[in-house]
Amino acid sequence: MDGPEIMQSAMGARFNKFLNQRIPPANSVTLSQSNIFIFPTRSGFVFGMLLLILVLGAINYQNSLVYGVAFLLGSMFTVTILYTFRNLSGLTIELAETKRGFVGEDVEFCVRIERPKGKGREGIQIGWPNEYKQWVEIFDDEASLVRLFVNAETRGWLRPGRMLVETYYPLGLLRACWVDINARGLVYPKPIFQDTPNLQSSKHRDDGVLIDPLGSDDFVDIREYTQGDPIKNILWRAYAKTNSLVVKRYASYLEPRLWFSFDDCVGGMEERLSRLVGLALQATQGEREFGLKQPRSTTRAWSGSSRPRAQRVGPVWYRRQISLR
Amino acid sequence: MVSKTNKPKVGVALQIPRNSLALLMIAQVVVILPLAAHITLWIVAVCLMCGYWRTQVHRGRWDYPAGWIKTLFVIAAVLGIALSGYRTFSLEAATSLLVLAFALKLVEMKSRRDAYLVIFLSYFLVATAFLFNQSMATAAYELVAVIVVTAAMVGMNQLHSQVRPLSSFWIASGLVLQALPLTLVMFLLFPRVAPLWSVPLPSSAKTGISDRLTPGDIASLTQSDDLAFRVVFDGDVPAQRDLYWRGLVYSNFLRGTWSIAQPLQPIRIEPGKSASVAPNQTLSYEVFLEPTQSNWLYALDTPVQYGSRMDLLADYRLVSKEPVLSVMRYALRSDTKFRADLSLPPHIRARETALPPNDNPRLRDYAVALREQTGSAQQMIATMLEQIRNQQFTYTLSPTTLSRTNSIDEFWFDSRRGFCTHYAGAMVFALRSADIPARMVGGYQGGEVNPVTGHIVVRQYQAHSWVEAWLPEKGWTRFDPTGAVAPERVESGLNAALSAEDRAVLSFLSNARMGSDNFIGDILQWTDSLEHRWNLWVVGYDATTQLSVLSDLLGKVTPNRIGIALLVGGGVSLSLVAIALFWRRRPLQQHKVERLFQIFCVKMARQGLQRDGDETPVAYIARLAALAQVDTNAMQAVLQQQLYDPQAHFSFRDAQWLRQELRKLRFRLAFTTTGTAS
Repeated sequence: MDGPEIMQSAMGARFNKFLNQRIPPANSVTLSQSNIFIFPTRSGFVFGMLLLILVLGAINYQNSLVYGVAFLLGSMFTVTILYTFRNLSGLTIELAETKRGFVGEDVEFCVRIERPKGKGREGIQIGWPNEYKQWVEIFDDEASLVRLFVNAETRGWLRPGRMLVETYYPLGLLRACWVDINARGLVYPKPIFQDTPNLQSSKHRDDGVLIDPLGSDDFVDIREYTQGDPIKNILWRAYAKTNSLVVKRYASYLEPRLWFSFDDCVGGMEERLSRLVGLALQATQGEREFGLKQPRSTTRAWSGSSRPRAQRVGPVWYRRQISLR
Repeated sequence: MVSKTNKPKVGVALQIPRNSLALLMIAQVVVILPLAAHITLWIVAVCLMCGYWRTQVHRGRWDYPAGWIKTLFVIAAVLGIALSGYRTFSLEAATSLLVLAFALKLVEMKSRRDAYLVIFLSYFLVATAFLFNQSMATAAYELVAVIVVTAAMVGMNQLHSQVRPLSSFWIASGLVLQALPLTLVMFLLFPRVAPLWSVPLPSSAKTGISDRLTPGDIASLTQSDDLAFRVVFDGDVPAQRDLYWRGLVYSNFLRGTWSIAQPLQPIRIEPGKSASVAPNQTLSYEVFLEPTQSNWLYALDTPVQYGSRMDLLADYRLVSKEPVLSVMRYALRSDTKFRADLSLPPHIRARETALPPNDNPRLRDYAVALREQTGSAQQMIATMLEQIRNQQFTYTLSPTTLSRTNSIDEFWFDSRRGFCTHYAGAMVFALRSADIPARMVGGYQGGEVNPVTGHIVVRQYQAHSWVEAWLPEKGWTRFDPTGAVAPERVESGLNAALSAEDRAVLSFLSNARMGSDNFIGDILQWTDSLEHRWNLWVVGYDATTQLSVLSDLLGKVTPNRIGIALLVGGGVSLSLVAIALFWRRRPLQQHKVERLFQIFCVKMARQGLQRDGDETPVAYIARLAALAQVDTNAMQAVLQQQLYDPQAHFSFRDAQWLRQELRKLRFRLAFTTTGTAS
């Protein structure tokens, strides 16, 4: 953390407000005089100290050529400002694609950098403050795709905020400018997988599929007793009337739609949401349609594999709905 | 939002790129090379070893030094420097320490941050080299060194894949080149301040005439053809035989060695004070003295006007208040007919007649006898010079070595071979024995005129010593016994006085310099004049010069004006760079026809007749023509041709015609539309 990041944290809210006015968030930002800020890096400050020492040496030794060295280095530093500006100006930065992710994972943001015709750009670093920055160069092509990863810590929209597009080129003494390209990525709760997903049977026989003829839930019909039938299924009333042993037959039906309910999950709120996500993810692997039931949200059902994206939306927003209560 | 644990610790950005590392290695050699002469050899060896170590680390053969090895190295280095026999706090000791720190840092350099430290140290070493040498060649060399170091820095900020060291080097060269105009502006305008505190001085490299002379030893100074100083005369250059550059006064004699006595009090001479004695004949000149690391300055007899940085001591020698570390530039006015010390103060008389009690008995007896025989001091000196001229005395640069105690006796009566110091020493000794105040004076005699710029060059081989004797009514008077034994030495320089044998001792370059007729001599003169201009404008650019240059440039030197000049100069030089950098990015020049048409469209839009988005220019004109009920076929044809045929020629007359036609159409439409509207 140095240079602009220090600026950002030291000046805090006021500086960010100024930045927001100066460079409002936009989907695509073209760098120009109005949004390029050039700051010395830490090395730049050390370089400044070196110049000061050289000038002091020149004064004390009354040495013209030491003055010369100091002035040459100082001039180089000044000229570098133009180089830095040239390297950045005209670049267009836009968010190309955002992937989704789960809490605890890195969410991928794909950023496109495009340069105008003319000289190639080198040594550009792009990334969010205090994060690892990706090096880019655009020489032969006119655009470059950069994949950036941001670690997600909470569910919901992940907004990494103002991005740093910076260049240390050519001397590493100067850098930086900020852009905000409205980057946001969706983050789901961290999934918790259960060993046996609770595939509840349906109460509706009509649209169910028989999955277990000897299942224990729903009464289907009666039939003659054969050896091996559970004794508790014997219809003793009928035996009294007819003197023949009849057993009740139960069967399980699988509902065509799986319903995962917030209320059926165990644990605290976050854990339940995580379980819900886990269930949904597992269900995505199968063929059956499934739906999520959450408190105070409309219960929606989607077909499983055909809508892999949307079924996950629910748990993300859950907290907001709770807070509305 | 950001988790600290998942953050990559070392990425691409933290390592030192390979090409940058290579450049840093080259930079190390380039930067240390000019300093190698001023530091002990083992440090250079350590540097080489460190460079080799780092290269091996890079190749994966060796490992970075462990912590305890580094500690050991640092302790050994400091001890080594302490034992190397430098004066404490001398510049050499400081430089050695710096070079060692640099080399050791290079070995353990891992991260970018380390690399930057090494780079900054390199810049510092570049500046340090100028404390030892400020010649133009050094400056050119160090400029290249700056480019190499900068290239290493550029390489640090380029992506690895693309970059080869040479490309970094070219970028750095461009950068340095573009920084030069601004450097020049700052160099000219940045106010030169007096030293703030005293600094470690170079100790080893005391050059020039020594403050101790032992005639019995072999002279080594005479054989050096290094530059002593250059002089620019205001007006004609005096004759060779009058160019006695007085620097040191040797008043003490002990055990065969002449040395400088305790410095006397500074005095002030009122110019014109001596006018009653002799008609004034003053010389104005400016001296560019090469660094001597000592205080004494050289001047023609007798400096009456000099700057505030100098003092004139009571023995009329000029000294600088600060040691001369870089080329010192000072303007003087000398009064050649000045009579010094018409009445001799007793303490000076005592000082200039003192002799050790027992040595050189033969010359003592000879002097006392001669004094009695000749009567006056002047007569005695004349007789001695006559003897030197007529008896078997030989001028040579390679005399026989003499004993310490009775060296003067041995020279005067036995060997009779020697150079200036032998003759001057013998004469001063004889005069003092006869109770005549006399002293040996050291300095330079002569000077070669450089025909290119007209300045005088004085070299170390022109070092000379002569005699000053105090005569009643004349004061201190100069006598040169060397002129008696070898008149050519004084009349036309050392070369003429040398035997073939002596000349062989001198180096090739010295010979080339002394015989100025050949081709090499011409080149040497040319480079000398270049070097002189360099001293004049760059090295000697001090507060005084700056004031005069700035008064010429700005009229009046005020902080405001300097500030404005800095702004204007800086702005202009940066604009030049900006033009160089952004010229390719300027918007492309529009074709004339396009521009005319676009202006027309804007004006028509104001009249309410916009061009539709998909309308071609020709179709637009046709629509407007129909509206205005005029015939524009000619114009349409021209537009069609000019807009779509890249080879079409478009003259100034065509442009005028088109402009007129378009204007006609516009006016017509303005008239018709307003007509229909109303």
